[in-house]
Parts: sequence; C-alpha cells; structure tokens
Amino acid sequence: MTVVRRPQIQPDRPVVSLKNVSRAYDKQREYNRSLQQRLLRIITRKQRTPTDLFYPLQDVSLSIHSGDFLGIIGPNGAGKSTLLKLVTGIIVPTSGDLTVCGRVCSLLELGAGFHPDLTGRENIYLNGSIYGLNRREIDERVERIIDFAELGNFIDTPVKHYSSGMYVRLGFSVAIHTDPDILLVDEVLAVGDVNFQQKCLRSIENFRQRGGTLILVSHDLTTLQSICTRAIWLEDGRIQADGDPLDVGMAYLESMANREQTETSLAKTEEDSRRWGTGRIRIIAVEMYRTNGEIGGYFYTGEPVRIRVKFESDEAVSSPVFGIAIHHQNGTHITGPNTAHAGIELGTIHGRGWIDYIVPQLPLLEGVYTISAAVVNHNDTETYDYRDRICKFRVLSSRTSERYGLVVFGGHWQLETSAESAAPNHDHRLSPDSPRSSTAIPNA
Amino acid sequence: MVYRGVHSTLISIVESLSQLHIITRARELWRYRELIRNLVISNLKSRYKNSALGFVWSLLNPLGMMLVFTIVFGFLMPDVRVEKYPLFVLTGLLPWNFFQASINAGMYSVVGGSNLVKKVSFPREVLPIAAVLGQLVNFLLAFAVLFMALVVFQASFSPWLWTLPIVILIQTVFSTGVVLVLSTLNVFYRDTAMIMEVIMLAWFFLTPVVYSVGMLPETLSTGSLTVPLQRMVYILNPLASLIAIYRDLLYWGYRTDVDFFVRTAITAVAVFAFGYWFFLRYSDRFGEEL
Repeated sequence: MTVVRRPQIQPDRPVVSLKNVSRAYDKQREYNRSLQQRLLRIITRKQRTPTDLFYPLQDVSLSIHSGDFLGIIGPNGAGKSTLLKLVTGIIVPTSGDLTVCGRVCSLLELGAGFHPDLTGRENIYLNGSIYGLNRREIDERVERIIDFAELGNFIDTPVKHYSSGMYVRLGFSVAIHTDPDILLVDEVLAVGDVNFQQKCLRSIENFRQRGGTLILVSHDLTTLQSICTRAIWLEDGRIQADGDPLDVGMAYLESMANREQTETSLAKTEEDSRRWGTGRIRIIAVEMYRTNGEIGGYFYTGEPVRIRVKFESDEAVSSPVFGIAIHHQNGTHITGPNTAHAGIELGTIHGRGWIDYIVPQLPLLEGVYTISAAVVNHNDTETYDYRDRICKFRVLSSRTSERYGLVVFGGHWQLETSAESAAPNHDHRLSPDSPRSSTAIPNA
Repeated sequence: MVYRGVHSTLISIVESLSQLHIITRARELWRYRELIRNLVISNLKSRYKNSALGFVWSLLNPLGMMLVFTIVFGFLMPDVRVEKYPLFVLTGLLPWNFFQASINAGMYSVVGGSNLVKKVSFPREVLPIAAVLGQLVNFLLAFAVLFMALVVFQASFSPWLWTLPIVILIQTVFSTGVVLVLSTLNVFYRDTAMIMEVIMLAWFFLTPVVYSVGMLPETLSTGSLTVPLQRMVYILNPLASLIAIYRDLLYWGYRTDVDFFVRTAITAVAVFAFGYWFFLRYSDRFGEEL
C-alpha cells in the first residue's frame, strides 16, 4: 500500500490515480474498541477471520485527469463515500496505490470546522486555515468570501446564531474560495435558496473554466449528466461502467429497473396497496406489456405500451366503467383516462377477462410512475373496485428525447430572424409578425 | 550503561522517523501553522467568553491552590518547615498545573476534534500540538502572578534566570511528546482517560511539588535491596527534574547543574521523538476509528 500526495498538479499526470485499491473494514470494529475486549480476545485466542471484514471498495483502478468532471453513481452502500474519503485523505487504502496531486477541497461537510462561539469573520480565518491557507492568503480572499456568502451585517455575529442556510452558505463560500484543484461534491448543490444554488452552479462553471477537476456523487442523474463530462457506476465496491455520463447513466438505470422488476413481481403478491369497493367486479391485476407481448417493469420514452387491467366478477354486471390513473412517484397526477370519457359502452360483463389501454408512444420522461385502476357503475354512484397504486413502472429516456420535466410534448422549434438582424448588435426575436426568413429546426 | 541504551533507542527512533518522511511531514505541519494559531486562539476565546472574570481565572486558580497547600502544610502539619512555603509551593505548582492541563486537554484533542478529523484532511498532529500550546499561553499568563509573588517575598533571583524560557520550552516539548502518545491511545482505547486519572494523581505525589526531594529519605531499604530513593525520583521522573530546575531558578536562586539541565533536555526530545513517531504511525487510522 502506498499513498502519495503532492501539493501541486503535475502536467501529463492524472490528478487522482488509484491502482488496484481496496479498502476493508472490520465488521466487529465497534466491539473491540476497549482494552477489555482486546484482552479478552488475546485470552480466548480468537483470531480475526477474513469473514470479519467487508470491502466497500475492491480492486478499483481509476485515473482522473485534470479538467475531468467525474460523476459517480451507484446504489447506497456501493462504496461512493469510501472513494471520496480516500481521495480526501480521511482514510487510507487497505491495499493498492493512491496518488493525489493538487489541493483537494471537499464540499462533503460544509462548515465542518466552524466554532459556534466565533463570529462569521473569525470562522473564515479558522476554516481557511483548516484547508491549509495562511493568513495572507485568507486576507486576500476574505471580502470575496463575505460577498459571496451574502451574510451582510451578520458577518460579525457568532455563527451559533446563524440559520442553517447562512451556515452552509458561509461554508460553501470559504470552500470554493480556497482555489482547490480538485473539488469533491456529495449531493450538495441543494445549498440555500434557488438564487444561491444558481450562484453555486455558476461558481462550479467558473471552476471548470479555470481547469479544475470535479468529483460529484449524486443520485440526481439529470444534474449529474448536465454537469459531468464523465461518469462511473460503482456497485459492490467495483466499477461497473466508466464513460459518457448518458451511457453510464442508462446502463445503471437499466440494471436497476431489471432488478426492480424481479423484486416487484415478488412484492406484488402481498396486498400492500389500498383498495376499496363493493366487489361486484374485482380487479385482479394490472400488467404492462411491450409491443412484443412481453411483460415489462420499465419502458423507454416513445415506446408503445399496453396497460392491461385484469378483472373477474361472480355475477353479470351491466355497463361498467373502467379507468386508470397514472401518477408520478412524487404524487403528481399525470392522466386519468376511462372508458366512459372515451365513449365506450362495455355491455354486460360476467366472469374473468381483461381490458387493455393502448398507448402508441409513451410520452413520459425518466422517472418512476404508478398506476391505479378502478371499475365503477355507469353513472359513478357505485365503486365496484378501486386499486390504489397497484402497479409501478420505471421510464428510461433515450438520449435523443426531451430531458427535463415529466412528459414529452413532441413539439418542434422554429427560428425566425428579421433582415435588420444582419446588422451588428442584433437580437434574436421570435415574432410571428415579421416572417422575413424562417428556418424550421427538425424535431430531434 | 543506561545512557548507551537510551542512545541506541534514540538512533532507532530517528531512523524510523526518517522513513515516515519526517521532512515532508514537518513542512506540511509548517504549512498549517495558521491552523495551530487559530485553534489556540479560538480555544482560549471560547474558554473565557462565558465567564465573568475571564482570564483572571488562570491567575486565581494557582493562587487558590497555593493558599490550600499553605494552610495544609503550614498550619495543619507544622513539622514540615520550608522557608517561604507559599512561594515554594507556587514555583512547583505552576509548572505542574501546566503539565497536568496539557495532558488533560491534549489527551482528548483528537477524540474531541473528531468532527474535523472525520471530514477534513490536515496533519492530525496539529490538534495535540494546539492543545499543549493553548495551555502554554495560560501558563505564561499565570507567570505574571508568580513574578508578583517573587517580588513580594523578596525572592533570591538566580543569575541563571535567563534560562527560564529554555526550561519552559523543554517542558513544552516533553508534554507534547507525552500528549502525542496519549491522544493516539485514547482514539483506540477510551480506557486511557480512566487510567490516566489515577496515574496523574500518583504522578503528582511522586513529584516534589508540595514537598522537596530533600524531605524524602535518602535511601529506601526493603529487605536486602537498598534503593537510592532521592536519585531514583529524578532519574525516573523527568518532571521532578524539571520542577527542581524551576525551583533552582526562581526559589533557591541557584545555578542549575549543566549536565542535569542537558539530561532533562535530552529526555524531553527523546520523549517527543517517540511520541511523534507513535502518533504518525497510527494517525492514518484516526479517520475510520473515530
């Protein structure tokens, strides 16, 4: 095991390099903390067995070059934090070689070194020195730090009286002004209000222009993909994929959706969703099919989908109305089609059967969605059966579709410029009144 | 014989120190001098912020203790006669307090700084060093009191008084060495603090703070074994030597023996070197243990 840290970046060398790095933890670490336990272990001659160890990182090799904006994705417990801690220098590898060149600054714990009794200004000096700056260097930066943190008169108030937002703002401001070569970020872009968040993003953009290297751990794929130039997918302590953030993100989501599919089909047998109704017609299940007739747990944006509601009834029921509701995971109601609104009269139903709702092109964007299904009488005065959130599915977006929000509108763009715009200092105005020249931009 | 043993141990420690890239570590530590300074200041500030008398306490505390020992030894046990006893006690008590406070603050410095150690990377030795230096500042403030007492009791100043800063430096180096070991042990075994409570009590009574070595029997005979007790106290307890030097300079007005002085200095440097080696050896694991 060797660890090399250099304060300066070396040209033509990766800024962070891991060679076959593993990190082990003792599972029973907590128990042999005291001398008594250690003595007991010596007396009972209990040896540490390999099964007592677990490996958050196993044999990881990775080179991060100057200017890389690397995103790390993976489920909880994949080893992401362990990797960040290794790069920061809080822990050392159990085996393997680690080289880090340049000043590392982590935004993992903003304001970690703040002393509650000291004022904001005093804490800038304390925190700056924790990052290894000397007094002159902090003197040069202190005004910029205060400006950026937007603390105004509160800068000479002890930080124990600060709101949590002010605390984090000051922490971010100090960290970003230490001029790090490598910045480690763990889901922190949710700092303060929207204005401040945008400011943080801008300063990260400035950091990119200065040639800085960023390592970002995030569960928010969209943010990660819009910031990073490279991504790795970490799982079970190993790198599963490394490359373009869109490709890696896709591979990760597909594997996650495949796993969910097997898990939910097991979970479906349990009666965990809410249900009510008189039971004259009962909804047995809701299933989703691909065009090839295969049951799916995940679908791509734009893919044809068939939503099947299976039912049974012990008696003949005339003119029932079937409906479904699709919700986003966060509760937003997206659509609620039913047979009555579609103008369909179903006649009399008896026994088992199913009814399909066919979507020619799934307009939903990336996310997890749920389907609720209901069957009621013709004038909605009696609910036969209502199954709340009976089915869950995931949507993956391919890279060519629209990317933000919940649905694809499928619209297209059209640019118009007036003749005056040929003059310098022109503005691009999209006005339907002056169609001098027009270019239709084909829908991607 | 003893010195040759000490000598070879020193060489082996120096060798392993060089393997730990001692120059790089020292340069790194120097880069973080601002952090040490800030930790000392913030520590002192928060200690005195919420007390009405502020730093006056670091003066009143030794004066109060001096009073207690003067009453105990001056009136309750009048057999023990030492001239200008309050001054005698004070010259021993202040360095002892400095040592004890350094141990107590330093032992918890890494554990107490766990929120930093777990989150930010910096030379970990900054924490114990800042803890000892914080106590040094306190000690120097308390020295103001001692000098007042010296004037009041018309003490005989030693012509060697100018060596006092060196003595203080030696004690600081020695305390830092001990603290480097204890703060490391305390990370892995919290029992360290419990054990040290008893050890510090024993150490206090085995150090001539409230009595003088001259009051001890010269030799101690148990069966066939005869132990030169007075010499043993000095040899085994570096703090006894240190306090003897403080007393020579401030109370007796003597000239301290040079070889005595040098021996104490070498002991302090050796303890420091061992402590630093021990600390660096285990400090990589602090982040995961805390």
